[in-house]
Amino acid sequence: MDLIPQLLVNGIISGALLAIPAIGFTAIFAVLRFPNFSVASLATIGAFAGYAANVGLGLPAVPALVAAFMVAGLVGLASDEIALRPLRPYGALTAAIASIALTIVLENMVRFGFGNDLRGYDLPLVRDWRIMGVRVGPQQVQNLALALVIMAGVFAALKFSRIGKAMRAVADNPTLAELKGIDPVRVGRLTVFVAMGLVGAGGMLLGLGTSIDPLTGFRFILPIFAAAVVGGLGSIPGAALGAMVVGIGEELSLLVLSPAYKSAVGFIAIVLVLAFRPRGLLGERAY
Amino acid sequence: MLKLNRRAFLSASAATLATPALLRAQSGAIKIGTLTPLTGVGGTYGPSMRDAILGVVAQVNEAGGILGRQIEVASEDTQTSPEAAVRAARKLIDVDGVSAILGTWASSITTAVAPLAWESKTMLMCVSGADSITKLPHQGFICRTQPNSILQIQVAGDFMVAEGATQMAWIGPQTPFAASSIDILEQIAAANGAGMESLIYEADKSTYRSEVDQILRGKPDFIMLGGYAADSTVLLRDIWQAGYEGKIIGPAYAVNAGLLDTLPSAVTEGIYTWEGAPAVNSAAYANVKAILGVDEVDPYSAQTYDHASLTILAMAAGGDSSGDTVRQNVRSISQGDGQIVESAVDGLAALAGGINYSGASGPCDFNEIGDITGTQFVFKTISGGKPSEYKRV
Repeated sequence: MDLIPQLLVNGIISGALLAIPAIGFTAIFAVLRFPNFSVASLATIGAFAGYAANVGLGLPAVPALVAAFMVAGLVGLASDEIALRPLRPYGALTAAIASIALTIVLENMVRFGFGNDLRGYDLPLVRDWRIMGVRVGPQQVQNLALALVIMAGVFAALKFSRIGKAMRAVADNPTLAELKGIDPVRVGRLTVFVAMGLVGAGGMLLGLGTSIDPLTGFRFILPIFAAAVVGGLGSIPGAALGAMVVGIGEELSLLVLSPAYKSAVGFIAIVLVLAFRPRGLLGERAY
Repeated sequence: MLKLNRRAFLSASAATLATPALLRAQSGAIKIGTLTPLTGVGGTYGPSMRDAILGVVAQVNEAGGILGRQIEVASEDTQTSPEAAVRAARKLIDVDGVSAILGTWASSITTAVAPLAWESKTMLMCVSGADSITKLPHQGFICRTQPNSILQIQVAGDFMVAEGATQMAWIGPQTPFAASSIDILEQIAAANGAGMESLIYEADKSTYRSEVDQILRGKPDFIMLGGYAADSTVLLRDIWQAGYEGKIIGPAYAVNAGLLDTLPSAVTEGIYTWEGAPAVNSAAYANVKAILGVDEVDPYSAQTYDHASLTILAMAAGGDSSGDTVRQNVRSISQGDGQIVESAVDGLAALAGGINYSGASGPCDFNEIGDITGTQFVFKTISGGKPSEYKRV
């Protein structure tokens, strides 16, 4: 059981990284009321945009992260306008299925541009620190700090900015928001841009410690979806909490399960939440 | 030696692509299919595996084809996913009407496609290693040019012991050869008084930190990687960050050029790789180099070159283009006392007097269940991010 502190640290770090794309996913659900599975490929696109900025242009990690946010946000917005918005009036299921098709198209566009090869960021690699028997890497600490800063920024924007309040209003009650003069299409676009930007930044953060390929984002779709469902679909603090539950749960599962079944934790979390608390841990209020 | 005529190659490929599928099915040309991983984790190898086959076919067509007919190739992508591969194989068999499917790569894919092949009497030639594959009830419709995993792991396990391993470890994802790999290493460790730990993880994760912590608790001094390039990249980084100082060995298809490019050279320094050694000094190997326009041919493209040559020669020897003919004749043209030939075109010219095809991947001799025999292995060691030959066995 001496593994527990190490597993907890690993879980908190992977949970915090997972929280960023999960927030993006749930924000789109809150405002546009459909699960947008194209987050998988937009996480990949963010990771590759960050890679291009980091390796191609020689930028350090933080500016590359901004590039990941911007490119994923813009691609997400453009693809949403072209492929998903026209289908939204036909219902959430139609839009969700279209988003799966969209993610396959985007994944293959990445493949077309960058090929299938693995790529790694140009960052100095250093051995881990050992603090009281717990192993933690400097890169992990930096990623954790970046994830926390991004989350703080999102929460502050939602709470204090005009546009953040408008987003919450649309999520809460679109009809009432429109009566008050908030344009739901404009808010929808902004939400998609910011949410996909977050997904892209999250994709890059998740890829920083490893290597990336066109399937990078696809590998995270289950934990991202599980995090959003566990926290309560549409709830942004819920997505952050859900990501922690899934992240820590996956690591702690090693105590009782073979590592070959790690992904089962995401499924188990979804099943438990749907069985006992279908609205998720924090319910579905956006904020 | 025959050199590939670029114009003939292009016109053959273009003609194949330009002809509508229905017309192709009726035109009387001989059909063979390639089913390689153009995308997914095997995507690094699939395109050149396919091109090696196209090159052989273009050479044969240019020399007049076989049985008075031209050969056409239908190419499909496995996506390195069994489910997509089965769909693609159905298309090749039912729509294109191919008599042989060449080049399946991952063991899980060959296993999934195999029943379709033997049920439709289509020959299946693969580069997969799982020993379970040739134990399937395939009635001779499967043969492989890749040494099976038992042989591969035995060779590598003996290497680990010879290099001084006292506490061995195997860490890899769930694959059709994971369990047998662990069993073999346990036997080798027990026979040599060494310890042995193993851990099967889930492929497609972005970090294996906790898994690495777990395997390092056994204090191994020699770790064998059991995965493919994507997960091995993540794993090696995590192992290095954890401060592991012992030795590591991984299959060359995992510790490949992509992995070495991705990881800083400090992480990969001193890692051993091993693989079935292509016959680098053969005329067949030189022919593949010319077809692909490269200086070094990966083992899988060398193998698919042999797949295409074996298929064509077996059809010509049997006087018929069916999968069953390939099955019945593949051994008669690949082993025995005949004249040694190293390309399909040379083989066709010498066919009447009896031939023994010897290819780019090795002598291409098969036992009764379709396993390759007599493969050489080459061990390499990574230094400064580049592999260099260490030892041959």
